[in-house]
Amino acid sequence: MGLLCSKNRHYTDADTEENAQAAEIERRIEQETKAEKHIQKLLLLGAGESGKSTIFKQIKLLFQTGFDEAELKSYVSVIDANIYQAIKILYDGSKEFAQSVDSSKYVLSGENKVIGEKLSDIGSRFDYPRLNRELAEEIGYLWKDPAIQETYARGNELQVPDCTHYFMENLQRLSDANYVPTKEDVLYARVRTTGVVEIQFSPVGENKKSGEVYRLFDVGGQRNERRKWIHLFEGVTAVIFCAAINEYDQTLFEDEQKNRMMETKELFDWVLKQPCFEKTSFMLFLNKFDIFETKVLTVPLNVCEWFKDYQPVSTGKQEIEHAYKYIKKKFEELYFQSTAPDRVDRVFKVYRTTALDQKVVKKTFKLVDETLRRRNLFEAGLL
Amino acid sequence: MPMYQPSTRREADMKLDSQVLDLETAVKDGILGGGCGVISTGFASQKLDLKIMIEELESIDVPTVFICPISLEPMQDPVTLCTGQTYERSNILKWFSLGRCTCPTTMQELWDDSVTPNKTLQQLIFSWFSHKYLAMKKRSEDVQGRVKEILENLKKVKGQARVQALKELRQVVQTHGTVKKTVVENGGVALISSLLGPFTTHAVGSEVIGVLVNLNLDSNSKSDLLQPAKISLMVDILNEGSIETKINCTKLIRVLMEGNDFASENVASLSLLVGLLRLVKDKKHQNGVLAGLSLLKVICSHESIRNSFVNVGAVPQLVELMPELNNECLELVLYLLELLSNIPEGRLALKDCPNTIPNVVKLLMKASESCMQFALSILWTICKFAPEECASLALDAGLAAKLLLVIQSGCNPVLKQRSAELLKLCSLNYTATIFISKCNLTRTIQ
Repeated sequence: MGLLCSKNRHYTDADTEENAQAAEIERRIEQETKAEKHIQKLLLLGAGESGKSTIFKQIKLLFQTGFDEAELKSYVSVIDANIYQAIKILYDGSKEFAQSVDSSKYVLSGENKVIGEKLSDIGSRFDYPRLNRELAEEIGYLWKDPAIQETYARGNELQVPDCTHYFMENLQRLSDANYVPTKEDVLYARVRTTGVVEIQFSPVGENKKSGEVYRLFDVGGQRNERRKWIHLFEGVTAVIFCAAINEYDQTLFEDEQKNRMMETKELFDWVLKQPCFEKTSFMLFLNKFDIFETKVLTVPLNVCEWFKDYQPVSTGKQEIEHAYKYIKKKFEELYFQSTAPDRVDRVFKVYRTTALDQKVVKKTFKLVDETLRRRNLFEAGLL
Repeated sequence: MPMYQPSTRREADMKLDSQVLDLETAVKDGILGGGCGVISTGFASQKLDLKIMIEELESIDVPTVFICPISLEPMQDPVTLCTGQTYERSNILKWFSLGRCTCPTTMQELWDDSVTPNKTLQQLIFSWFSHKYLAMKKRSEDVQGRVKEILENLKKVKGQARVQALKELRQVVQTHGTVKKTVVENGGVALISSLLGPFTTHAVGSEVIGVLVNLNLDSNSKSDLLQPAKISLMVDILNEGSIETKINCTKLIRVLMEGNDFASENVASLSLLVGLLRLVKDKKHQNGVLAGLSLLKVICSHESIRNSFVNVGAVPQLVELMPELNNECLELVLYLLELLSNIPEGRLALKDCPNTIPNVVKLLMKASESCMQFALSILWTICKFAPEECASLALDAGLAAKLLLVIQSGCNPVLKQRSAELLKLCSLNYTATIFISKCNLTRTIQ
């Protein structure tokens, strides 16, 4: 009897404990689901090299704890890789151009040719050596060779990364034995994003407890990456679509026959028509304005088919503004063409950005945040 | 103006009703004598000041005892008749010159035609006005001083403080019209315009626009505000703001565009057109509808814009609006649709929209003549464009009967002529009998 009794008690004890645990788990799940509802999902979309990851890094720097020393150091190998890849592309490019008309421009000096071959070889390996003083000097000579500079001027025909100039001008610093990348170096560092990366943050403004929680997703922009996008499309508060406006004379990394701006146009159109985005706000970041500014005065916009009816009106700053306005108008037209009447009440705003400039990104995000908060209030009927 | 009633005045005479002239305050403020140093010398100088003060204090509530019963204006030279009633001298003399020997209010025959100047009342009136005038001037100076303070403040503060300062500025400008000049004279326009830029928050931008819309802007200020970045901001704010903000933006953009032919090209973006369409569809806010339509009228005076306007689906949206509009708005909508009917895309859109013909036909004979003119023009254009389709639709909607009514009515001859032409156009495809049967005419008209 006693045995029985004690056995029973043992079971009921276990039961209650299990019940308590189950209840606790239930409660936790409920809490988290509730919390999830208040988290606003932001998606960074856009073609490859449009600046999505740079924006992502900027948000990390602005609203999270930024990069610690270990993280900064982790970028050294990335930066090295960028440098080797860039110089290889330029050297190989010069050889290609040397075979066409006007070839003498692209022929290097004897010494530099040797350097070029050596670096090209390094650049084709999987493992790159750490950049040291000697290599940095050699790369520097090669970079300054007139043939390479001529090749760089035609960089739009090759796949020269945007960070090339910046890193080439800083070779000495970057090759130092104790080099720790600065925040700026990290922003310039280019890694092709694959898969999806996310961070969660709360923008801290004047009134510290703004209460908004955002979850920002960064994706790969190249074509083969885009099939992963669809998994993220549910319940998105806002899409931040990045379009690099300097790319109107460049071709895709993954398809050298296709103009980058045309690709962006088609991509934007496709995204706008996605069924899940019926009520999603669209923030269009017309990015890389800094590069655009210099390019637009020398390379006419109408080399891109989409911009073929563009007429320049003046020079200098006025012309830059005029060209920018034209592009903005084109994107607006595209937006309204691709937006069915039932979606016309979506928020759609266009921002001029230079993702590398932290101040610009901070101010821009402040406006994005304000718009989204107002939208929330509006939908809750409080505005 | 206070309503004059003889009986009340008599009582006021006896009681000096507190609502009419507050004796207590009058004594305290020295109106009834003593302290007020403004009660100065010289009959002539008194008169001059009084006239100006009365003019400047136009909207104030003047005590009834100061009002001349004939002109209902404050008296500057009150004279009393033998009946004891007081009038403005010039007015009562004019009365007498018409050959009347009666007291206008009591209707009594005058036994004595002399007029006695009522010095006491004159002093009282002068005193009262002086007091009110000084108080107003002081308040005005106070407010002007406050505005200058706010403007100085705006040069320094940022963030929430800036928003607050702008809110206060807007409230002051809206309630005290006199400070508008002060704002303009102290560089206020340039100052707050400089706050508008690509990174301006909605909170700041909407307040700035709220202030600017109340001020008189010179051409330099307008050119400055027409910069693309600022216009772009205004359009964004229009799209996101409260109804009050939307209306302010609309009005401001309109002011900027008026008289400036080049402005349309730069200002009328697709976002603006879509935003304005949204505004005019908001039935709950009629003044928004009017403001939006007025701006659309200004914008569409530019041909290139009309195409874009049709492309954003303006035609069906405007047609849907028509039945519930008041006359003023209806005229604007018809004006716009008529403009659009003159371009191929617009014509097509009008034809394709199923409600165009029914809605337009319905309003014939109900609306003003200018509305009818536009309506007839629109019907003419689409019927000419696609006679088979449109003529039968129009007739089904009862067009023929309406046109006949117009022709027989007292409208101006141009309208009658157009109606006749339209009727003829619609009848072209039918024989006489079929046409008449299609018209569903009542016996009498037949």
